[in-house]
Amino acid sequence: MTTLLVNGEKRAVKAAADTPLLYVLRNELGVMTPKFGCGLAQCGACSVLVDGEEVRSCIMPISVVGGKEVTTVDGLPARWAKQKGLPHDPQRLHPVQEAWDREQAPQCGICQFGMMIKVTELLEHNPKPTDADIREALTTSGPSPHLCRCASYAAILEATHHAAQLMAQGGVK
Amino acid sequence: MSTILPDMSAEAAFETDALATPAGRSIFGAQLNRRGFLATGGAMIVALGVAPGGARAAGGNSLDATQGASWIEIHADGTFLIRTGKCDFGQSTIYTAYRQIVAEELSAPVEAITTVISGDTDRTPDGGGTFGLLRTNALNLRKAAAYCREAVLELAAKQFGVPRSDIKVMDGVISGGGKTASYAQLVSGQDLRLNIPVAGELTGFGGLVVTGHPPLKSVSDYTTIGKSLKNPMTRAKVSGAALWVGDVKLPGMLHARVIHPATLGSTLVSAGKLDRAQFPGSKLVNIGNLLAVVSVNEWEAVQAAATVAADTKWTEWKGLPGSDKLFDHLQHKVDWSEIAPVKSGASRGDVSAPVAKVHAAAYFVPYLKHAPIGPTVSLADVKPDGSVTVHTHTQNPQFLRRAIAKMLGKGEDAVVIRTYVGPGHFGRSNGGNAGSEDEAVLLSRALGVPVRVQWMRADDMQWSTQSSTMFADIRIGLDEQGRIATYQAVHSGPPMQDDRPIGAVLAGLPTMDPPGPTNPSPVHGAAMNIADRWIYGAIPNVSETGRGAYQIGQRESPLHVGLRDHSMRTPIQFQQNLPREIAMTEAAVLAGQDPLQFRLDHTRDERFIALLTRLREESGWESRPSPSPRASARGKEVVRGQGVSIMLRDNGYWACAAHIAVTPDTGEVRVERLTLVVDPGIVVNPLQLRRQVQAGALMGVSQALHEEVAFDEGAVTSTDWFGYPILTMAEAPDVKVVLAPHAGADVYGQGSESANALASPAIAGAFLDATGRPARRIPLRPDYVKAMLAG
Repeated sequence: MTTLLVNGEKRAVKAAADTPLLYVLRNELGVMTPKFGCGLAQCGACSVLVDGEEVRSCIMPISVVGGKEVTTVDGLPARWAKQKGLPHDPQRLHPVQEAWDREQAPQCGICQFGMMIKVTELLEHNPKPTDADIREALTTSGPSPHLCRCASYAAILEATHHAAQLMAQGGVK
Repeated sequence: MSTILPDMSAEAAFETDALATPAGRSIFGAQLNRRGFLATGGAMIVALGVAPGGARAAGGNSLDATQGASWIEIHADGTFLIRTGKCDFGQSTIYTAYRQIVAEELSAPVEAITTVISGDTDRTPDGGGTFGLLRTNALNLRKAAAYCREAVLELAAKQFGVPRSDIKVMDGVISGGGKTASYAQLVSGQDLRLNIPVAGELTGFGGLVVTGHPPLKSVSDYTTIGKSLKNPMTRAKVSGAALWVGDVKLPGMLHARVIHPATLGSTLVSAGKLDRAQFPGSKLVNIGNLLAVVSVNEWEAVQAAATVAADTKWTEWKGLPGSDKLFDHLQHKVDWSEIAPVKSGASRGDVSAPVAKVHAAAYFVPYLKHAPIGPTVSLADVKPDGSVTVHTHTQNPQFLRRAIAKMLGKGEDAVVIRTYVGPGHFGRSNGGNAGSEDEAVLLSRALGVPVRVQWMRADDMQWSTQSSTMFADIRIGLDEQGRIATYQAVHSGPPMQDDRPIGAVLAGLPTMDPPGPTNPSPVHGAAMNIADRWIYGAIPNVSETGRGAYQIGQRESPLHVGLRDHSMRTPIQFQQNLPREIAMTEAAVLAGQDPLQFRLDHTRDERFIALLTRLREESGWESRPSPSPRASARGKEVVRGQGVSIMLRDNGYWACAAHIAVTPDTGEVRVERLTLVVDPGIVVNPLQLRRQVQAGALMGVSQALHEEVAFDEGAVTSTDWFGYPILTMAEAPDVKVVLAPHAGADVYGQGSESANALASPAIAGAFLDATGRPARRIPLRPDYVKAMLAG
């Protein structure tokens, strides 16, 4: 039995300790936003935040994340609300999600869960990133680049700046 | 899938029926009748209150496409529902442009179209493939909307007691004789049917088309088309609310991993041992050469499959040339006389006419992968009564339904395909399967429970189809003035449409034939058509020939597999436009002319002249001959160049300029910026078109710089993202997109193709400009670049 803290909730899981977090999130806990892309930490589709740092859940055994705070895209609105002390509002998205919608960033969208996680990590550390900061975050900072086959990179760049603006102003007004 | 856009709608429906009678009143070929007046065999009924599904054809898992309500429902609350057999792969078209087109024909607010049902074979009317969404495919819903509008306006005339010519419609409000009513009010409480004419075959490759000639709204009256409508699915995707294909679960479902053969020609010698002590929840399933491990626990299935695979024995097979010898193999080993050649319609004059100078060269495009970020995944549920439901992500669900039925030896009525949001795979499934669907069905049938097959990254790289390789021999003759007198091109390559499901092939079960000269399907032959539309009307003597072949390794493979090929974004035209446009740049160099001006000098099409002129301004093009005066093929210093390419596709006019930097000593090519000027026809949705063009162009940069399928003599060796690298964010250049639609355009502008094909020849042109050396193949990766510069 491992206890995980996922999107603000304590969850007891039965999976073996060496099971990668991705399979536990999706199959045991029903947290479906991290996607299977490669199983090799080469693409970023499965990214989640662990104590605020982006990790690839497809290769991360749950034994390593026990006791740490796991945040997925579904948990971003609550993370933002908690950080800002905002009342619960089921319609409210995290500014990164909001910016992704406003800029119409996704095409097929499967990589965007990881993109949004990585950009959330970036903006929590660097609220006003340059183009170079964003490119670096999404290319060389992790175990591999975050890959988008639709090549929506231009939109992701614009959406990240938009998200930074929204966060700076405290969210959607 | 069913997408309910922001507001849920009530269940009332505008229903139509299958059979028209002569007694029905004809409205531009559609039939409208009150049910009470129906003779036997009946005309159409517009029936409010008939639940969705009332339009279901008798005796099958299909909607009746001849019923208007199968396409468009008018709900009592004023909302509308539309259905299309096409799916979304990230283009957004079925959620944006299709709603705009229907709203436009109805003269109703686009926001009132609150529900889009797509893809599912039992809940959508038309079938056919998801490609050319705004070309011919848009006409189905557009015509259905026009028939619907005309029928309701007829009703209004009757109800208002005024002549039909006095009836007007605007913003969803129908008015005449001082009275007004909404669509919903006009059909409310009535029991009517609308029959619309359709033709074609539901489960055929192209599906059904709505026929006839209902009056279509004039382009000059458009108010909704041309607006930047957001894609309502985006919020569902980014919030996590959307149900993805890999997220679908069924009670009792097992997770499967398939152990594919060691090579593309290996057959099973002996299956590895499954250790039940180590993997207690797992089971091994073997059907012919199809081998899989299933488990209640997905991670256990992954581990067990890897263990069994390591212990499984396959026959050895070496029937491929190896990717490093592919170009040579195509040029010297393939027998191109087996398939009849095809001459293009643009061929004319005499290419043996005397010329002053000649440019002649061979060009090469390797195999490319669709390479979705998510490997293909499907969930199948075969019931004891033999009925089959497949939950998957496909561009052509009805054609997949046909393939599954054929594999099982069952009627198509036994098969339902349900579709979901999924990773874009750029044409791989436009003939039904993307891989995994058939395997899930066979495993579910064998085990009697729902089975989910998730391909791993290596399965997806090694066992999916690929975009076929092609090479071209091009010879351009210049006259004394440096103008092109003769243009001769021979394009040679294997076919691009193998729609055999691989699991069925491995299991030895019936499939359609591989592409070949005897395949009865018009789109599954082996001939090489000329897909790149000719655009240099000023050239007097032109000869374009296509030479087809069998797929590489397919006949040699005991499995009849080999390298299975499939169309991918801008198929065939990508592979033919690249050599033509690079050769045009090389001919400009031979003539001592500016490559952009050289193109202007050889086209007579006003739209291309406008486009190239605009591209020169928008891209900051330096008008001068190429190569650049600063060109160098040596040194540590970066050299820069500019290149241009143009393309005509689907009546859309495209031009691209690439500005690149090359470091000769390292062979590194960096694309600094791209400029695309596009005259696609009517711009239905500028926001979405711009995003499509932007991303498409960047995918083109990926193909130009990185992509090539590596394979040895038996198997694809590009097994992951290291073996098949694609563009990263750090490498993505600035992309400037200029939408420059031609005034008076009368076709809808497509955006998800073309853009990707333009980048490679423009980048190759810029390479020649920067270094003085031609690039006659892609990708421009450092090892190839160094060889080009040394040559």
